[in-house]
Amino acid sequence: MANEEKKTPLLDQLEEGRWPSFVKEIKKAAAKNKKAEALLGQLELSYREKKVHWKHGGIVGVKGYGGGVIGRYSDVPEQFPDAAEFHTIRVNQPAGWFYTTEALRKLCDIWEKYGSGLTNFHGSTGDAILLGTDTDKLQACFDELAEAGFDLGGSGSDLRTPSCCVGPARCEFACFDTLDVCHEITMEFQNELHRPMWPYKFKIKIAGCPNDCVASIARADLSVIGTWRDEIRVNQEEVKAYAEAGFDIQGMVVDKCPKKAVKYNAETREIVIDNESCTRCMHCINEMPRALRVGKEGGATLLIGAKAPIVKSAFMSWVIIPFMEMKPPYTELKDFIRTITDWWDENGKTRERIGETIYRLGMPKFLRDTGIKPVPQMVTAPRANPYYFWYPEEVK
Amino acid sequence: MEELKQKIIDYLKTVDKAKNKEVAQALGVSKGEVDKAVTELAKEDKIEFLYLGTSYIKLKT
Repeated sequence: MANEEKKTPLLDQLEEGRWPSFVKEIKKAAAKNKKAEALLGQLELSYREKKVHWKHGGIVGVKGYGGGVIGRYSDVPEQFPDAAEFHTIRVNQPAGWFYTTEALRKLCDIWEKYGSGLTNFHGSTGDAILLGTDTDKLQACFDELAEAGFDLGGSGSDLRTPSCCVGPARCEFACFDTLDVCHEITMEFQNELHRPMWPYKFKIKIAGCPNDCVASIARADLSVIGTWRDEIRVNQEEVKAYAEAGFDIQGMVVDKCPKKAVKYNAETREIVIDNESCTRCMHCINEMPRALRVGKEGGATLLIGAKAPIVKSAFMSWVIIPFMEMKPPYTELKDFIRTITDWWDENGKTRERIGETIYRLGMPKFLRDTGIKPVPQMVTAPRANPYYFWYPEEVK
Repeated sequence: MEELKQKIIDYLKTVDKAKNKEVAQALGVSKGEVDKAVTELAKEDKIEFLYLGTSYIKLKT
């Protein structure tokens, strides 16, 4: 209607850009769901007042679980009664985020029945996020999700839902089976995933190669990043094919190698790699994937301590185990996770991530307590000194 | 394990609720051992979990 006052003039502006708008999707949901309609109204109010109208209002959950549901309440329930309770449910995603269309439809059908119909695919931790339901619908929703084969993910001070890249399912660079590791870890640590009992959250992200497509080095308390311990495989015929196709091997690959480990003979059109010097940056392999492949002896480098700013500033994770074989049933990895989380649980303060605990108490104490052998690769940042060279009391 | 489980039950009789870490400190054992024992006690339906920002255990009434 031309003279009818627009209900959401500020939100409407967000639909005018070049990209798909979340407003359009909320409006679609609002057409058939009162909670989504209330969300739209409250969001318009927030834009108008430049103020957030959500608050934490208590602990909500489902029977037997301490995590997986995030309570959210409106602070203007009298204006938007349908958004008075707007809880989030985190659904543990399948490893690598592979779903059948049938599974997705099932998930959405359940959510339309019990919630607003709005979803996030996916949250930072990787879960399928279901946005907006009431306290009294949580248990029934969870029961139906469980019936359909879904489980809740982590929230609060527990093991957050482990996530991984697509790994060998869709990527030739995978140095180990990320999907299997992710699934195994999820099953092994069910107790830690559903019962918040640690000082704070603990995230595990598993990347199949140093490209680190899940950004574990920046986001995970324990980053498991694929690597190899033998040599980069070179197919000299394919190198020649790249050269014949006019690809600038010298400029695009050789000159850009951070360790100057790649040599190219323009006459013979062959590449030689000094694998001793290679730092696994993946640049040459990414540039010439048909000619260069990761090594055959795959495994993972384990890094510890990444996080966003909480108590201290943002941390990138740093190497703690330079190479670990990744073979089922992954006993070494599971034992390692238990060792470090036990230490953190004993020594960490409330709301202190493991990286911060190590930072506060010192790497020597962490290594000595956990029995992890110090190695030169344990550096805080590239080209930085190792944490320490000796224990002070051992210096004569 | 059975001995530790009994000690945990005895300790929980003296408090309203407790965290695994507190139980471990009170009994002078590692938290890992308490975690395992608590998991078994939960399966045996002898204790229940309370989630109040973090996980507590208490005797099942």
